[in-house]
Amino acid sequence: MSIEPIDLNSPERRRDAKLMIEGLSKTYGGGADAVQALPPIDLCIGLGDFLCVVGPSGCGKSTLLNIVAGFEPPTSGRAVLDGRVITRPGAERGVVFQQGALFNWLTTLENVAFGPRARGIPAAEARTSAQEMLEMVGLGSFAQKYPYQLSGGMQQRVGIARALVNNPEVLLMDEPFAALDQQTRELLQEEVRRIWQETGKTVMWITHSIEEALFLATHIIVMSARPGRIKAAYRSHFSENPDPLVGATAEFTAARREIVGLLREESQKARLQEELA
Amino acid sequence: MSARDEVLQESETYDAATVERRASRRDRWLTSTTFLALFALWFAVTGSGLWQPLIRPIFLPSPGAVLQAFLSLAQHGYQGNSLWHHIGVSFYRFAVAFSACVVIGVPLGLLIGANRTVRALLEPPIQAIRPIPKLALLPLFLIWFGIGNTSKIIIIAAPVFPLMVIAAMQAVRSVSDKKIQAAQSLGASRWTVFSRVILPACLPGIFTGIRMSISIGVTMLVAAELTATSDGIAWMSLTAAEFLSTDVVLVGVVIMAVMGFGLDRAIRALELRIVHWSGRD
Repeated sequence: MSIEPIDLNSPERRRDAKLMIEGLSKTYGGGADAVQALPPIDLCIGLGDFLCVVGPSGCGKSTLLNIVAGFEPPTSGRAVLDGRVITRPGAERGVVFQQGALFNWLTTLENVAFGPRARGIPAAEARTSAQEMLEMVGLGSFAQKYPYQLSGGMQQRVGIARALVNNPEVLLMDEPFAALDQQTRELLQEEVRRIWQETGKTVMWITHSIEEALFLATHIIVMSARPGRIKAAYRSHFSENPDPLVGATAEFTAARREIVGLLREESQKARLQEELA
Repeated sequence: MSARDEVLQESETYDAATVERRASRRDRWLTSTTFLALFALWFAVTGSGLWQPLIRPIFLPSPGAVLQAFLSLAQHGYQGNSLWHHIGVSFYRFAVAFSACVVIGVPLGLLIGANRTVRALLEPPIQAIRPIPKLALLPLFLIWFGIGNTSKIIIIAAPVFPLMVIAAMQAVRSVSDKKIQAAQSLGASRWTVFSRVILPACLPGIFTGIRMSISIGVTMLVAAELTATSDGIAWMSLTAAEFLSTDVVLVGVVIMAVMGFGLDRAIRALELRIVHWSGRD
């Protein structure tokens, strides 16, 4: 089988960690109305890791990403990138959202050039690197279109190009393909794999699709129902397989079955919680 | 994509565009029918000299009589001033009041929407003055600002200003968090987030606010020219009514309607050019 359990907090991983999450938790509200979205979790992400976080709805996986992105403060613990504690959003952490985060008043090119411009890079240079990045995601000829003139899949490519052009230390992806149809999603997953292999970026990818996680990730964590503890962590090797049809192999199916089993238990717990509440 | 698919897709988009064009041509036809029917009704009930009017001219003059009154006003003016002077002076009052509201109210609303401190300081007073019927303030304004143009401009601005502030404020609040977060994680400073994300994202809402205020502004023009003046298009209508010159009253009403409608169209055209992305998220 091409996935194996792994301890993401082993001493070696802690030593080599690019992004370290230490005792990080989030509780919304206070007193009797307090809702724990995320119990304290620990996690080490190494340089060049592609970490997929899968879990049932409401398990706090997006909260985790929001804290690492710096959009909201943790209730306890901290997220540390390259030795610096994360307190606010920053260009060294590129974020790709599910949808609706492009700037509709700017052309595709201007959207991608936004980051470099915001960081004070001269306009001409920003446009050149934006154009290069658009070529890389296959949208070179759509530079002058506005986002609303593009399909959903194209818009997500723009979102990825916009995050990549800043050359961030980490890419944070919040279910970027969840709103796309199956064919587009599979196509884009192959592209992401190619881009990741070319750039070697460290990626934290939130998804509820197990296939997506197996296809893309080097590491997978499975979160439990709310509050989302880390139920299992795996090292996955399918993303190293160049075959785009790796999803049809027996190993892939076996790995999928294992994670589905874990998640099913958790979804049932989540439903039970809702019924009791 | 095969050549066949391309052809198919092209013919589909072509068809969709054609269908839309036909539908909008039909809409225009229907709209002009409504206008024609109303006009015909006006023509019919007033007789227009062709038959006995159902409504006496003193209550509702015929279209022809109104046109004649307009031509005569255009030639001889009204009460010592040319018609163009009356139109000009009204337009001046309206335009100064309206532009001041946009130029001061919109930035203020943006500031209130974007900054918590400014919001706490200024939002409650603005919300508190909003429900005051501004017409009730007219005598006060006359005492404070005299009988010149200043008091007239202020009475027009009085209801428009809070509307403009609130429209801009609401627009800021409805900017999606995701867009702001996206800009922040691309390295944008607070000022860049404001000028290149919040401001453009607010434009559609601001334009809606401006267009909704036009009719209120024109209404307040009538109030402004109610007393203490001897020119202006609303004043012309108001004084003509005292002499039961219904035709002159109607000329004034039509001119004000055209003014309001024309402004709305002009701003709508500007809106389509500037906020081409509006409603296409």
